[in-house]
Amino acid sequence: MLFRILDPQTKANQFWRDFDRLNDELTRSILDSQFGSSSNFPPVNVYTKEDEALVTCLLPGLEPDQIEINVKDNLLSIHGKKKAEDLAEGTEVLRREIFNGEFRRTLELPFRVDREHVLAKFTNGILNIHLPRREEDKPKKVSISIG
Amino acid sequence: MNTLTKENKQEVTESVEGKDQKSTPTVRVYSPNVDVMETEEAFYFRVEMPGVDQSSVDISIEKDQLILEGKFVMPEESRGQVRLAEYKEGNYFRKFTIGKAIHSDKAVAKMKNGILELTIPKMEPKKTKIEIQK
Repeated sequence: MLFRILDPQTKANQFWRDFDRLNDELTRSILDSQFGSSSNFPPVNVYTKEDEALVTCLLPGLEPDQIEINVKDNLLSIHGKKKAEDLAEGTEVLRREIFNGEFRRTLELPFRVDREHVLAKFTNGILNIHLPRREEDKPKKVSISIG
Repeated sequence: MNTLTKENKQEVTESVEGKDQKSTPTVRVYSPNVDVMETEEAFYFRVEMPGVDQSSVDISIEKDQLILEGKFVMPEESRGQVRLAEYKEGNYFRKFTIGKAIHSDKAVAKMKNGILELTIPKMEPKKTKIEIQK
């Protein structure tokens, strides 16, 4: 268990604060490598079915109108800009970890997308994009009669 | 790119126990990003909890310990073949020590677009007049 000593006066306390901060940064860098939640490269999941792909992207703190989605053939691009909130006078920032600024992800899908029927939803900070496969590229069933 | 800005103020500090615990083989505990701000009247916390419904957030304050938890469950719709998985469902957890007297019963929280916003008013410092004995 780690804890930070609140009294800033002694050198020993300074040592523990530095140790604690380094430990915290190391922990977060490991978590970032797994989860990527503090970067401008928001993490995505991609799922495919026979006739569509579903792309989900973690974008907490954004409004839907701050997100731009572009689709061309089999390329999907998610782009946006998150602006830091205006701080009232006399507000002191003690800790700033949430990313603000521009981000972009471009993904290559395994098939070309029907741009006209792309559907996007934004719920609880997660963007869900349904990308249907182009009709002409869908696998076609051919019935062969034996006789 | 890591954009963290670390400051070690004495009013709000963090305990890191419990991070990245694996309570079961499939459920992870993540450390969400937090912004902490302070005014003369209150502390403000903004916590990234994407995918967490308001009903799955648990905030507790005991003495000077603030614990923030949230449960992120993937929607149960059929998703087909996984091509890329950069995040998984799990629980969010962070714990802070607040080094000033606070009104925990007057704390106000709300969730919006995957961000938890928490305001905890500060308590006025108690003034005790001490008489000097003759």
